[in-house]
Amino acid sequence: MKHLCTTALVASFAMAAPFAPTAADAEEINVVMFGMPYTNGLRKLADDFEAETGIKANIDVIGQDVFENRITLSFTGGTGDIDVVHAPVIQVQRWVAANWLKPITAEVAAMAVKDDILKGPLDAYKINGEQYAVPFMAATGLMTYRQDVLEAAGVGVPETWAEMLEIAPQVTNDDRAAIALRAVPGQGFNMFIFPMIMRAYGGKFFADYTGGDLTPAINSPETLEALKVYIELINDYAPQGAGNFNFAEVNAAAQNGQVVFTVEGTGVVTQIVDPEKSKFADVTGIALPPGGPAGRSPAIAVHGLAIPSSAENPEASARFIEWAVSPETMTKIALAEPFSNFTTGSVAQNAEVIAKYDAVHPDFLRMQGEALNLAIGHYRPLLPDWPSLGAAIGENINAAVNGLMSPEDALAAAEQEMKDILGQ
Amino acid sequence: MIDNSPEFRIKKAIGTTVMLLLVTFAALPTLWALLLAFRAPDAVFEPIWESPLKLTFDNFFNITRSDFPKALMNSFITAGLSTVFAMLVGVPAGFALAKSRVSGKFIASWILLLLRMAPPVGFVIPLFLLYVNAGLIDTYAGLVFAYMTLTLPLVTWSMWNSFSQVPDELIEAAIMDDASLTKAFLLIALPAARPGAVAAAILAFLVAWNDFFYSLIITRSDTTTAPVAVMNFISFDSVDWASIAVASIALTLPILPLMAIANRYIVQSLSGAVKG
Repeated sequence: MKHLCTTALVASFAMAAPFAPTAADAEEINVVMFGMPYTNGLRKLADDFEAETGIKANIDVIGQDVFENRITLSFTGGTGDIDVVHAPVIQVQRWVAANWLKPITAEVAAMAVKDDILKGPLDAYKINGEQYAVPFMAATGLMTYRQDVLEAAGVGVPETWAEMLEIAPQVTNDDRAAIALRAVPGQGFNMFIFPMIMRAYGGKFFADYTGGDLTPAINSPETLEALKVYIELINDYAPQGAGNFNFAEVNAAAQNGQVVFTVEGTGVVTQIVDPEKSKFADVTGIALPPGGPAGRSPAIAVHGLAIPSSAENPEASARFIEWAVSPETMTKIALAEPFSNFTTGSVAQNAEVIAKYDAVHPDFLRMQGEALNLAIGHYRPLLPDWPSLGAAIGENINAAVNGLMSPEDALAAAEQEMKDILGQ
Repeated sequence: MIDNSPEFRIKKAIGTTVMLLLVTFAALPTLWALLLAFRAPDAVFEPIWESPLKLTFDNFFNITRSDFPKALMNSFITAGLSTVFAMLVGVPAGFALAKSRVSGKFIASWILLLLRMAPPVGFVIPLFLLYVNAGLIDTYAGLVFAYMTLTLPLVTWSMWNSFSQVPDELIEAAIMDDASLTKAFLLIALPAARPGAVAAAILAFLVAWNDFFYSLIITRSDTTTAPVAVMNFISFDSVDWASIAVASIALTLPILPLMAIANRYIVQSLSGAVKG
């Protein structure tokens, strides 16, 4: 029996041996990103990078949840198996606080493309004077509306959330709701949308974020008013089940004509106005998100590329980043994929790119530019604790939307949880 | 005697109705996925009664252009190999534990149970760190050996039970007739425990086939398995529900014949393949 077991073990190892890896090539880098038009396009161009530099780039584009798990394990273990990582700006503060990213100030300064990168998104990755990533995408919030329905109802495009509340009952009928908004809890879900209303009414997360006073201030009359508007829109003028809609449901509702308005990120807006995907693309208009007494505050989400502290070949990583954000690469992706959120400025001047996006919707690039100009970099606070803070606030906002607690209690609970997370 | 009383019939009707409702409830997610797999992309969120004819095979063609078929093949390779290796080691191990008269079998049984009961997260972090240093991340060998932490205890434990049902006298008789222990194992004990071995192999395959966690952590683009690849249809600004549905069906189909076979052998192995 002993011999039999030993033989089986040896045989199993021997059979597995051919699958063992070869030694890693020094000029080979591993890039981990999550799925979106830019990253999908970049993966298809990996051979171009190898042809230009001789460095092989293994670009892994995976689901966002899978991405979060893999990079967390890799960073905490300091394993060095990732050379370039997709870095959402909202996560970077936390990663830098944990020493997971390598500062790349000198590398970025040496890049020929640096002056072509939009300053706002680039500066969003500057922490304590050091640059930690280079942006490749800056998505913003826009409103879509059904021109035919508004014309039939004899109403104009709402400029404010108050006007939206006035128009909503006039465009609602048994088959169609007025609006769909993200409501599912999450710092990237309802907390991508709700701050647009909150800031329009003068609400804020902290007493004085830019002045450095991080005393939570979300439990304010302004935020309460905004929350009541958000709740009324979702509960009275959105489709059934909208209390837990995410971007996919919002997108589907707009594409199928189940709603008149949406306020969404530009990545979703491009799908709503795409004739191949949306039945009502030809009668859909684009406008800035509604504002309020305190003005208009479109959402913004910036994504970039960073080098983990544990990366073993940072020079090759930096070369990859420079190539990935170069005007040539960005233009190729903008033309091949539904990718309009480029952060390399000269791409917007490319005639082919302009023609492509004008054909999708003549107002799209102009509106996107206006929204980006209005957006503030710290739309969602750039703090290491933001992922936890955003999750906590989002849960309470969602509870209020779904009637599990009153708006007053939700904001009080959110503020208390913010204090607990920040140790105040 | 058959009870034909009205009272019995009412009870039977209620029981049947409740059972059918429960079965329908349990089958709903599968039926929904099946329906979604054939729905045109612009009809995915429409009620079926509004556009019952908006059906298409495009979703199936689309998925063949993604990385999913490669991931499905990776699942076959890794689940298959980990089952083969687990059987090669676990079947003789189960025989040894069932038939040898050595001390410490009680401890061995507890260790095996512990391995079966321990959550994968207990193994995966040390394995991940070990694999990074050994260069086994994103390799078939790495994933197959990781799966063996699941499949080997399962096979060993179930084969221990199966071989325990084989009478000692059969093996002793073979040895008295000059058969070696290996021959007695291969020609007498193993055929007698065949239902248990088939059931163990199928269950081991299913455990590896359905794994998400190990694959999530220790694979990358080359060896990602199908359960993880399904998640790749959820991107930053879109969710490809139709592809998720097709992928779910593709993941389920290979299991159906295995379940039919397993069902027969599991019943046989539980009822005792060899009567003493």
